[in-house]
Amino acid sequence: MHKIIQFEQVSFRYPDEEKWILEDLSLTVLRGERVVINGPSGCGKTTLLYLCNRLYPDNCDGVLNGSIKIFGKDSSSFIPGEINHRISTVFQDPDSQFCMQTVEEELAFTLENLHVRREEMEKRISEVLTLTDLSEFRHSVIQKLSGGQKQRIATACALIMQPEVLLLDEPLSHLDPYTAKKYVEWLDELQQKRSMTIVAIEHRLDLWGDFFDRSISLKENKEPPPFDKRKSSKQDDVSLVVNKVSAKSFLQETTFSLNRGEIAVLAGPNGSGKSTLLKALCQLIPSSGSVEPKLLGYVPQSPEFLFLTKSVQDEVGFGGGINVDEMMTRLQLFPIADAHPFAVSHGQKRRVAIAAMLSDGREVILMDEPTSGQDAAALAELFQLIDERACEGTTFLIVTHDMEFAYCLADSVLLMRDGCLTGKFEAGAMWSDEQLLLDHHLLPPKEVMHREACFA
Amino acid sequence: MLKSWKLKEIVLMSLFSVVFGIVYLLFVHVGNIWSGFIGPIAYEWIFGIWFIVSIICMYIIRKPGAAVVSETIAAAIEVLLGNAVGPRLILSGLVQGLGAEAVFAATRYKRFDLWVLMLAGVGSSVFSFVYGYFLGGFSVYSTGYVALMLGIRIASGAMIAGVGGKAVADGLLATGSLRGYAISRSKKGEARA
Amino acid sequence: MKHALHKMNPSVKFLAITVCMFTMAFFFDPWTPFVFWIAVLVLQVFLSQINWKKWLLFMLPFFVTAFGYFWTTLVFAEEQSGPVVWSIWNMHITEVQLNHALSLSFRVLAFSSLSLLFAFTTNPVTFILSLMQQLKLSPKIAYGVMVGYQFLPVLKDEFVQIQQAHRLRGAAQEKNALQRLLGIRRILIPMLAGAVRKAERAAFAMEARGFTGERRSSYFQVISIGKVDVVLVVLFLIVLVLSCTNGLWLS
Repeated sequence: MHKIIQFEQVSFRYPDEEKWILEDLSLTVLRGERVVINGPSGCGKTTLLYLCNRLYPDNCDGVLNGSIKIFGKDSSSFIPGEINHRISTVFQDPDSQFCMQTVEEELAFTLENLHVRREEMEKRISEVLTLTDLSEFRHSVIQKLSGGQKQRIATACALIMQPEVLLLDEPLSHLDPYTAKKYVEWLDELQQKRSMTIVAIEHRLDLWGDFFDRSISLKENKEPPPFDKRKSSKQDDVSLVVNKVSAKSFLQETTFSLNRGEIAVLAGPNGSGKSTLLKALCQLIPSSGSVEPKLLGYVPQSPEFLFLTKSVQDEVGFGGGINVDEMMTRLQLFPIADAHPFAVSHGQKRRVAIAAMLSDGREVILMDEPTSGQDAAALAELFQLIDERACEGTTFLIVTHDMEFAYCLADSVLLMRDGCLTGKFEAGAMWSDEQLLLDHHLLPPKEVMHREACFA
Repeated sequence: MLKSWKLKEIVLMSLFSVVFGIVYLLFVHVGNIWSGFIGPIAYEWIFGIWFIVSIICMYIIRKPGAAVVSETIAAAIEVLLGNAVGPRLILSGLVQGLGAEAVFAATRYKRFDLWVLMLAGVGSSVFSFVYGYFLGGFSVYSTGYVALMLGIRIASGAMIAGVGGKAVADGLLATGSLRGYAISRSKKGEARA
Repeated sequence: MKHALHKMNPSVKFLAITVCMFTMAFFFDPWTPFVFWIAVLVLQVFLSQINWKKWLLFMLPFFVTAFGYFWTTLVFAEEQSGPVVWSIWNMHITEVQLNHALSLSFRVLAFSSLSLLFAFTTNPVTFILSLMQQLKLSPKIAYGVMVGYQFLPVLKDEFVQIQQAHRLRGAAQEKNALQRLLGIRRILIPMLAGAVRKAERAAFAMEARGFTGERRSSYFQVISIGKVDVVLVVLFLIVLVLSCTNGLWLS
């Protein structure tokens, strides 16, 4: 068997940091293998990947010890760009891995980088589009496509180089589970059609099924505290009444209500109007109908969009709330009170955002896709944050595709499709209604599937 | 010159230009028509906003050429976004960038304090004014009027581009997102020294 | 015929327009820029297919600017010699002044028409490709600009989202221009922070696809210079010469 990638006692650190990101790492990848490298965020997975495709150490002037051999040659002996002709990469963020407008131009850009002769380009473009079943998108504008489609285009761009190795950098993390599952099936077929070595880094293995032959753990995977199904904190009095809310051209009339301390999940396919509904409820976009109370809290997918000041303390107090200190204590923000709200971790940003909302007296909090791109530890932190607030009487409406998360958290589920609310379902029986879930592009949570399997 | 540039630095300049392009599109054009009545002096006080990209980029990246390349890219992006002033913007971008670049070059790319940034804004103002003097035919105006225009433009360059540019870049630095760029390294160095 | 200007090589068009503008800058009589402006419009009418309604909308601010130039030149003129042709209140406007004022106003109109001619007949992507293929622009810069351009919808969307989020926080919309300028900073910081992140990712993605910034040996989309360019350049030059020599044939 050929050794394709060989790390021997590799250590790496950034120039301005003392701590080593990778220390004494040794690993080998053989030709034709499907290997996954896993570990929690910040364990150096991405660094490892960037060392394989030579983005590092040059791009960050990092310090590298030990030996990296790629295709049996020392990796530093390759000239810039050379390695990338044989090892291609699909990155994590579907929005920012393209440089041209249309799919065809993007593929051509890749071929031009390889100095492919012009006469050959047309043939190779059609070939790869047929192979990946993407011919219909040839002239599409990339940024108008959905996240899942963009990841397929990115994969096609990687494959057109006819690489020996395909590197995947958490390619599913911004996709919803349904789309992710479809992507894995699609990739599986491709790998069988064209035998390549696949090396992926990933923190969520469950979506991949049995795709990989072998997994390498970078750090002792400290199992994050798993969250169990929480006990409902739903109270009897109503805290949010939505009556016939609709927004121009897309969002149909929507009516529902939530109780104090209730956690509701809003789910449905991409583009079904979930975000639009949240924005309509907060009056961020023009809408008709009535919402009671008027003042709702809203946490966008990037919580930093909300921030206006230079310190966490100012941020929480920005709305002029009186119980700022109490909020800071309750959400454990005092240790970072003077930090810049942009410079804290993603989980802390969300904490700050929620604290700011609550101290403004916004008792109902709407969250847009807080689970997207989060690893297990971050999900546990999020779970705890929401759980504690709900027990204190805050009401939540959370948009998410992650049904495991929803299963453990939600009192009720609102399903949406084509700009229309299908209905509000009590959590419970609905989890085993596979048809209903499938209609909304959702995968039933594993625990339910487990139970079903036992009964069958 | 471009050899020593990392691709991510060039893409950074390009994306900054797009961000400012959007800001120009959505804010500066408000009231455009009314100020037109006032004649060529109408925009002088806000002129510095056109130089801000080059000053921010130089302040962050600190490599020879950062001012002139970023300002030219910014102008090119403006043209792509459909700015009606059209292709001559690219030339004015080049000229403005050269003005700021000249100041940074005079310090041998070693000083990036507030005074140098303000001077760079002045440099852009002067260069762009000479260019505008020629293309706009300012020679027909009385000396006093021309001096007034130049004075306002210099003040605008120093204040909006110099002071404003530094404020924006420092604000950005405080968010911690500029790790890996020269500006972060220098701050660390200063702290250690 | 109707597509000629659209088919013209963007770099050649860019150079032709630049030469025209710099030549115009030497003239201070009203007729040269006026004749030139009319000639540009004629070219546009016969050699391009543009939406004239849109054209008018874009041109409107320039008419206003031209008017602004007109009266400032009258009031703040350097040269005030020559016979008085026009008196309002106690202002006496001389022939020289009036000529200069008209000249600068027509210059504004001529330049704007040229710019719109370029903007309305040129595809941005083709323009950048052409700068790289004909004018030897460095691919690093060319594709750097291209990345920025394709990010436009993403960043625009982000701008709106941040604005909405800020509105929710109760950051009021400032009315006066100076406050608004200061208020932009709040939106700028998150936008720029996002841009830094995206820039690095996009640059890495390009490098991972083998982009090194070196010259390319072949292009998928070849932008060439053809007969149409020669003819159009000659046309532009004829227009330029005709308007510069208007003294000979107009009188």
